Parts: sequence; C-alpha cells; structure tokens
Amino acid sequence: MADIAKKMASNQKQIAISEFFEKNKHFLGFDSLPRSIITAVKESVDNSLDACEEARILPDIKVKITKADTKKDILELTTEDNGPGIPQKSIEKVFGQLLFGSRFHAIRQSRGQQGIGITGVVMYSQLTTGKPTHVLSKIAEEPTAVSVKIGLDTRKNKAVKSEQTRIIWENDDLTLKEHGVRVTTKMKGKYQRGRQSVFQYLRMTSIVNPHAEITFVDPDGETYHWPRVTEKLPRKVDAIKPHPHGIELGQLQRMCRESSDSRLSVFLRQNFSGVSMRAAKELCEAAELDVSTKPKSMKPDDIRAMLEAFQGERVVGGKVVKLLSPPTNCLSPIEEMLIKKGLSKTIDSKFISTMTRAPTVSHGNPFQVEVGLIFGDGMAADKPVEVLRFANRVPLMYQQGGCLLTKSIESVDWRQYGLDQAGGRGVPKGPAAILVHLASTNVQFTSEAKEALSDNEIVFEETRKAMLEMGRGLRKHLEKKKKMAKTREKFELINDILPAIAEKSASILERPVPDLAGSITKIMSAVICNESTTWNKDTKQTDVSITLFNYTSRARSYSILVNWPEKSDGKMIGNERGGRKEAMGIWGWKIETLEPGEKAHIEYSLANLEKGDWTETDVFFRGSQDVIGASKLDEKMLEEIRRQEQILVEADKEMPADKEAQPTFDSGVVEGDTGQTTLFGGDV
Amino acid sequence: MARVNDPELTKQRLHLVVEEMYDRIVKGEPPTMTLPVRTKNNIGFDKKLGVYKYGKKRSTRDATSLGSAKNLLRALHVVEFIEEMIEAGKSSTLREMYYISEAWGLGKFGSQNESNNLAEDLEVVTSCLREDFKLRPEEDGARMIGNVTLNELNRRGQWMTINARDDVGDSGYGLPYNVEIEKIQLKEHDVKFLMAIETGGMFDRLVENGFDEEYNCGLIHLKGQPARSTRRIMKRMNEEWDLPVVVFLDGDPWSFRIFASIAYGAIKTAHISEYLATPSATYLGITSDDILAYDLPADDLSKKDIEALNAELSDPRFADGWWQDQINMMLEIGKKAEQQSLAKYGLDFVTDTYLPEKLEELGLA
Repeated sequence: MADIAKKMASNQKQIAISEFFEKNKHFLGFDSLPRSIITAVKESVDNSLDACEEARILPDIKVKITKADTKKDILELTTEDNGPGIPQKSIEKVFGQLLFGSRFHAIRQSRGQQGIGITGVVMYSQLTTGKPTHVLSKIAEEPTAVSVKIGLDTRKNKAVKSEQTRIIWENDDLTLKEHGVRVTTKMKGKYQRGRQSVFQYLRMTSIVNPHAEITFVDPDGETYHWPRVTEKLPRKVDAIKPHPHGIELGQLQRMCRESSDSRLSVFLRQNFSGVSMRAAKELCEAAELDVSTKPKSMKPDDIRAMLEAFQGERVVGGKVVKLLSPPTNCLSPIEEMLIKKGLSKTIDSKFISTMTRAPTVSHGNPFQVEVGLIFGDGMAADKPVEVLRFANRVPLMYQQGGCLLTKSIESVDWRQYGLDQAGGRGVPKGPAAILVHLASTNVQFTSEAKEALSDNEIVFEETRKAMLEMGRGLRKHLEKKKKMAKTREKFELINDILPAIAEKSASILERPVPDLAGSITKIMSAVICNESTTWNKDTKQTDVSITLFNYTSRARSYSILVNWPEKSDGKMIGNERGGRKEAMGIWGWKIETLEPGEKAHIEYSLANLEKGDWTETDVFFRGSQDVIGASKLDEKMLEEIRRQEQILVEADKEMPADKEAQPTFDSGVVEGDTGQTTLFGGDV
Repeated sequence: MARVNDPELTKQRLHLVVEEMYDRIVKGEPPTMTLPVRTKNNIGFDKKLGVYKYGKKRSTRDATSLGSAKNLLRALHVVEFIEEMIEAGKSSTLREMYYISEAWGLGKFGSQNESNNLAEDLEVVTSCLREDFKLRPEEDGARMIGNVTLNELNRRGQWMTINARDDVGDSGYGLPYNVEIEKIQLKEHDVKFLMAIETGGMFDRLVENGFDEEYNCGLIHLKGQPARSTRRIMKRMNEEWDLPVVVFLDGDPWSFRIFASIAYGAIKTAHISEYLATPSATYLGITSDDILAYDLPADDLSKKDIEALNAELSDPRFADGWWQDQINMMLEIGKKAEQQSLAKYGLDFVTDTYLPEKLEELGLA
C-alpha cells in the first residue's frame, strides 16, 4: 500500500514538472520545436560568454548540431567553451536546479535573466528524450576533467548524477584542454534556417561579442566561423544599488523585511543609490515616518507611504524630494569601434556608421543606447533593411514589430538620409542593416517571452536621436560617394578622353597633336582633392594620401584639415608635411601657394589600429575657392569639438579617482554569491 | 528635289566638324560640336521649300562633362570610319557600326541608340544624308502595289525593270533602303494617286479587294512610322510624276504624327525635310469626325494619348485650324479608333463605301 502511495506521489510530481513546463513553455522558450533548439543554444552560449567574461577569458565557443533521429525530430546539441570550467562539486547545482531571478539588491547589466538557465535545457532534454545530459568540465587547477551525466530527479527537483568519471580531455590537436566545459544533450527539436534560427542567433551574438570566437557546425555538416576581431574583453561592470525611482512595492517590502538596519534613514542611504543623508531625512518626512523607524518593523501602509515619497507623490514643503541620478558606470556598452568590427566581420560591406549615446537614466534605471548602420552592395537593395536588436548583448529574434527598438527605427524619415521608405514610415528599404543595442540594468520587456522591449518614452527618444545622427552619417557618406564619382569622371575626361580627341582630330586633319594644358584648365576650372585611405597589410598601418590639384588659372592658398581616430588611440606617423592639431581628432596643414597646374601631396599613416578600423578620411578646407572632393570647414563644428574636448578635460580633473576596476583573473572559478544568475552564481 | 552624291563634298563637310574641335583645343578651350536644337521648339515653316526645317537655335556640345566629351570622341571615330568606307566603296548598317565601335576603345558606343543619334547629328551638322555616309538603316522599306514601273540597280550592277502590279506577288514590291536616283529610276505609271496605309492588315484588305485596280492607284504600306526611304519614294513620285498622295491611318494621336512626318517633315529629320516631306499630302482618315459620323468602335484615350494630343496642340506643324479642330475634338470625345474598326460594317465596307466617299470629297474617285 505504501509503495502505491509513493508511486502515486512520484507520478504526481512528474506530472507537476511536465505541467510546469507545458504551462510555461512560452516564457521558457520551448514552445515550438524550432524555437526549442534555439533556446538550448542560447542558454548554453550565454552561460559560456558570461563565464568567460567573469573570468576575463577571451571566449572560444563551438556549437554543433546533428540529427540524432530524423523521424522523431531528435537533435543532438554539443556546445564547448574555453571558460574557467565548473568544479566537480558544483556541476549538479549548475545543471540540475532551477535558477530564478537574481538577488534583488544587486543591480547591473547582465546577459542572464532571460530564461531559466541551462537547467531548463537539461529538463527539456529529459522530458522529450528520457536521456540525461552529458557534461565534461575541466578547471585549470586539476589535471583531469570530470565527465558526468546529469539527469533530473523529477520528484526531488534535483540533479541525478550517473557514470561520473575523470578523464583526460584532449583537444583535436591532442594537446591537453586547459579549462572549459562541453555539454552534449539530445532533445526534440527542429533545425531551421532564416531570420529565426540558430545560425542567426549565433551570427547576431558574434556581432555584439566581437571578442568571441564562434564556430558552428549545422546538421548538414556545414561549418560557419565568426572570428574574434578584438582582444578587448567587455568592461567589467559594477553592481549598483537600486534607485528609488525604479523600485516596485514588492521589492521594497522584501528589502525592508530582510534589512537588519536599525534606522530608516540609514537603510535608505545605504541600500539605495542617489540618496544623500539630506534626501533620506526628507524622504522620511515626506512619508511621515520617523527617521529612527526600524525598517524590519515597518507596516505595509508605511512601506506604501515610503514608495509614494520615492515616486514624488508625497512631498516636503510642496516640493518633491530631490534625488541624485544613479551612477552609470554599471553599464557595459559595446562601443563604436567594436560595433563596427562586429558588423563588418559578418556583413561584407564598405560603409559603417556607429553611434554610442552617453548613458542616461529612465525611472531610476541607467541605460545606454548604441546603434550601428552598415550600408553597401553586399545586401539586397529592394528589401527592408535587416534589423538587429539586442538587449544587454543578447539578440532579440522574435516579435520585431512590437519592439520599442523597431518603433524608433520606424519613426525616422529615412528618405532624407538616402534609404527608401514608403511614405517616410516603417522599416526602410535598402542595402543596409541597422543594429540597435540597449544596455540597461533593468530591461523592460513587453511579455514574459522577453523578445520585445516595452514602450518607454525616454529610451525611445534616445534611440531615435541615435538613429538620426547615424542617418546623417549615411547621408554624408552617400554625398561623398557621389562627389567622388564626379571627380573620377573629371579625371577620366582630362586624362583619357581629351587626349584621345586631340590625337584623333589631329590624325584626321593630318595636323600636329595640339597641347592640352589650356583646355584642361578650362574644363576642370576647379581645385580638386583626391583622398585615399587604405590598409597596408605589410606595415599593418592605415595609409592616408591626399592630393590637391589646382586646375584653375590662378594661384590658390588653403588650409586642409582631416579627421583621424585620435580618440580611439590611433597614432599619426610619417606625416612629413607637419601641420598642427586643430582639435581632438582634427589635424590641419597650411598650403601657402598652389600655382595653376600644380599639385600638393599630404601623406601619413595611422598606427595602433586594426584592419577595418578606419576606412574613410573626411577632408575639409579653409579657403575661398571651392575644392571638389573636400568639404568647406564648418567653423562652428570645430568650435563644438573644442568645447566637448574642454568638458572632457575638466571632467577628468574632477574625477581623477574614478578609474575602471582592474580586471582580475582569480582562480578561474567564481563561486558563491555574485548576484548574477550565471553558470557560477545565482541562488543555488 | 533632286540631289547629287558627291563624296568629296561629304568629306569636306565632315572635316569642318573635326576642325571645330581641333581649333578649340589649339585656342586652349574645351573642344565643341555645334548643332541645331532638335526639338519642336526649333522647327519652323520654310516658305520656299514648303516644309518644316530646323530654326536658328544652336546648341553646343562641349567637352566639359564626361558624357559629352565621349560623344565628341565617338563623332571623330565615326568620321574616320565614314571616310574609310567612302574610300573603300563599302557601306554598313548602323547596327554594324555599333558593333564595329567595340574596337574604338574609349570612343565605343554604349547603346545602338547612341550610334543612331550620332549618325543623325552628323547629318544635321553637315547637311549630308546618311546615304552619303554609306550608312544604312536597319529598318526595311515599305511595300508597294499598283501599276507603277521602276528601274532598280541590282547587286550585280544591272538595271532591272519592275512593274509593281504585274511583276510582284501579293506582298508587293519591296523598296530598298536607298531610293535615290543612283539606285531607283521612276520609269512610267498609270495611276491617278498614291495611297499610304498605316497597317499591314488594311493594306492586305485593299489588295485582296482589288482596290488598286478599281480606283487606279498605288498602294503603299507604311509599317507604322514610315522609314526614310518610304517617305523619300513618295516624295519623288509626287514630285517627278505629280501624283497626289493621300494618307489613310488609324484615328489616334500617333497617326497624326505619322501624317505630319510625311507631309511637313519629322522633327528628328527636319534637316532633310525638303527631301522627305510631301507638303501636298492629304490626311484621308480616320478623322475624329469619322469616329462619330461612322459610329466606329472606339477605345478610351490613355493618359499618354492625351499628353500626346496636348503636345500636338502646341506643335507648329499642327497649327492650322483643321488640325486644331481634329485634335480638340478627339480630346473632347476622349476616343480613338483603328482603321480596321471599319470592319464593323463588313469586310467590304472600307473599299465599297468608306474610301469612295472620302475620295469623292477630294475629287479623286
């Protein structure tokens, strides 16, 4: 009798777990066969990237999918990284227990929190194939790797280990694997291609993780490789305390309940960002609570009153309590240069414009918007541009239309920037892809599926502004291209066609070939600037060459200015003509006299850059006669550059101590409470 | 208007074009080519010749842009090519010249259209005919049926005599591209007038019904917009034999233009209107009145038709009252009709009723 009861209980539990999965499959990401395999890859790869980032390792990730049983739609997924590895005793926790949420008071930008973690994959695999997941893990400190199969005991919601052994883990080239994790799992799933696919997920992941090396082998045996394009790891982000403007009632209740502070004012000051001592006192006053109230003993009405004070619904002396903005150094943007690299390695096109906005705050949550636009021949000209959406470096692949990021793209009239757009609304058409990345401590999604960002006016405006700025970059590029084509034509005219006309007419008339100088001056009647910026693979430098031709009948005098990547640590070398720095990233040369028919050369190289970092140099001029191939210098723009430079210099003076935390490489294992739902942390 | 073929004169005139370019370079200026503006705004009625010719407006093509510089270079290549042909006693088609230009490097043509236009440019500037340049058009000439006898110089250099009624089949006598005196001689005829017909279907209908014999006329199939040789042979028969020419076309804005090119000269060939145009030609139908009077099955005017009609209203060739009335009436009724819509009343209606009525008005029946 007791046996039957036990069995029933177990059945019940089993049903409960299956039911849990069934009911929540949408937000777990396992609601359809094609999506299930994407989710599994995503959980695995996100874990690997997070682990490498924590351990300051440049990630090397391999993903392989094979068809295990075609008739039953069973796929086998193998993912391997070179992360720090998981110690033997932690494997069960990491793979066998559901992780939910992170600790409430640790707020920072993280990849996680967009699924239930790798345990969900183990569970899905168990439920659909009855097979355990194979884990191979090696940490640097140990000579051998642990090999173990993880199943789930659905009664106890606990991992079940089997076949645990220690083995020697060799790489393909027979060298010893230093550290890393390999996960092999069989699951029901369907491999598809297209906009929502494992391929697209990895491709997008590679764009926003330019420091990662990703290899993918699809079920047909086709290998795709996205190389690492930078050695620079994402900035290590600091956790920050929540800001009163961004807090919800439940969270505040939890914080009060778990607080051991004896005074409310101290509690406010120490657990929230942006709250000074004065502000803490004023908040208490607004909420009509005594500063010495013990947070733990606050009644629900008191907590509600405090929340109202937070939100400015309760005031002091007719005024809302002033709070400081939260710090924004908790964000890790990809940064312009790396977006450029990420885009250019996956999409083969010439022009890229990127824009990282300064961090800002919405409802107490710091956020930062980054956008990138790649334009060129490699893409279809008559189709809508590809929209690449990311939140905290995680690709968003579903619900494009309902997403705030898409809406901000659609709100721009792209026609004025050179893209097609029916009626000036909607996703524009053209040979382009638009990347948009939101980095935030608190990403707000429209639904549990976490695939589309919900509306937020401030974020929308920031994104829109970034789009406009980028659009201007595109327009400038297209105008320049047009101008260059025109200049090329003129040169073809005087170098090829005109001499041919002279020779042919002379030979028909049987007369001597006439001199062309006069005609050339009349035809060009302009000063022409030719610019070329090319990567020199021998010297590993970017060579810039500028030539100014005077095809007018008078002597001319100019200042020639160029932009160069000074801010990105470029070095200008071999600049024999000298000149001087005009502003941050702007160099200038004086060309005193350029006689009719004469040309002047400016040549220099840019070191400390990689291929693709700097592909186009803007040339400006100061002088009365127009220069074809260069833009007249906008003195106001120069002023603005100088002004911003000044601000930066002053800001540096003010905060000399505000240095980025030095990257630390600890034992390779990060254990315990990091406040992040990752492979190595979380509430296990 | 008889004309003589003088290769030396042709060469001289072509050299003037080359000299203009050469001299400009010597003067330190961009080379140029000056030619009349070829639009309807620059054609005017030449009272002496009775046809429309280009006016005084000149445009200068100078080598300050890549496109026009290339055009000048091409012109030089064409001049050289023409000289070579004149000297070798050869001729080529415009299409052949287009392919030959492949070897001209920077001066090669981008499209067949460019080579056709350039040949016309040179005709305009030099007042020569492209026959003088030894350039043949691709288009074939018209077909003709009727009791008309011609001498044609064949490939073997022998003159052969052809009667366009007795010596030909149902498709009639095919006109060669060159109908100048050195190739075609008008020998004798027994017809009262010539009738030019737009469509092949109508031409065949009239042939089948024996209209040419019954009404003692020559029938000429225009094949849409008539080739130069078609217009030239009509002009010659009109001039040398004093034969009236009547023109039987569809009733639409494009037919009006075909008539204008026959009677007054085409805008594109206004430089040689005096050789091609037959000012005394009469428009027989289909007129706008006919559409109403005969209650013909008609189509609505398209947007393009309406644009064409409006353009014709300001075209000097259609300035006279009768044409203004016809054009305005067509715009008013908003309809156009094909020649073959007359078949509404039976296959013989056109030969038994319509044409006799029309010819009677003109005193030709």
